[in-house]
Parts: sequence; structure tokens; C-alpha cells
Amino acid sequence: MLSTSYSFFTGALAALYAVAGLFFLSFWKRTRDALFVSFALAFALLALNQTVLVLGGLEREEQSWVYLLRLLAFLLIIAAIVRKNLEGRRR
Amino acid sequence: MDVVKSAVYLLCFAASLMCMVLLLRSYLRSRSRLLLWSTLCFVGLAINNLLLFIDVVVLPTQVDLLPVRQVSAMAGVGVLLFGFIWDAE
Repeated sequence: MLSTSYSFFTGALAALYAVAGLFFLSFWKRTRDALFVSFALAFALLALNQTVLVLGGLEREEQSWVYLLRLLAFLLIIAAIVRKNLEGRRR
Repeated sequence: MDVVKSAVYLLCFAASLMCMVLLLRSYLRSRSRLLLWSTLCFVGLAINNLLLFIDVVVLPTQVDLLPVRQVSAMAGVGVLLFGFIWDAE
């Protein structure tokens, strides 16, 4: 893959993740549901992941520790969903 | 170190797959459109993580799946944002 197109896609993905994160933040503002905060945070991490990759000139994400950011984001979301499900069951 | 790395990629795939299933379950229960878009987003992200695992761990030297990986992630978030903007009152 050309490095210019790689940078383009990585940058675009970073922006998309960031926008998705903002949407979740606005859902949280409206509903005050903690689930949305976790989603917002997770998408912010995914955006950060992409940003660090392209600014650090790391063409392949898997060659570095940066990948742990992605893992953290997914674990955050899982924890939030599981908690939400347990809450629903208790009620 | 390689074992740790492989485990991390596999864990990311498992995590996104689990998100997908949990979101789908919630959607089927509540029929909330928001959950449907989120489920579709995680379908894309799960595919993305699976491709990453194949690319790096299973066939490290034979293939370069980077372009497909980029497209799958893009499709996932793209669908999510489309849904958010479409359904926003």
C-alpha cells in the first residue's frame, strides 16, 4: 500500500472515530447513561491509536505497543456492556 | 513476546465479537435503532480484528491485508455515523 494512501485512510479513520466518540458523549449528556461515557472513551482511544500511528510514522500498527490502546478500548466497552446487562437484570 | 502479541490480537478479535453479540442481544430485546447501528459497527470492527490476526499471526509473510483492514474499519465506523446522523432528531 502506498504510504500516502495509508496516511490518508489512517487520518480519516482517526477523525471518524473521534466524531463517533462525540456522538456518544452527546447521548450521555441527554440520557446520563454511564454506558455512553464508556463508548465515548473507547472511541477516543481508537482515535488516539490511529493518530499516534500516523504521526509516529508506524506504518503497521502491529509492530508496536500502540496496539494495546485498541485492546484497552475494547475491554472498556465490554466491561460497560456487561455492567449494563447486570444492572438490567437486578432491576 | 510473539506469543503475547498473538494473544493480544486474538483477544481484540474476541472482544469485538463479544461486543457484537451483546449489542445484538440488546437490540433484539429493546429494538432500539441506536443499538442496531452499534451492532453493525462492531461487525466491521470484528472483521477488522480478524483480518489483523490473519495478516500478522496466521499468514505473516504471504499476504498484506492492510488495505482490506483499513476498509473494514472505515465501513464499520462509517455505518455507525451514518446511523447516528440519519436517526438524530
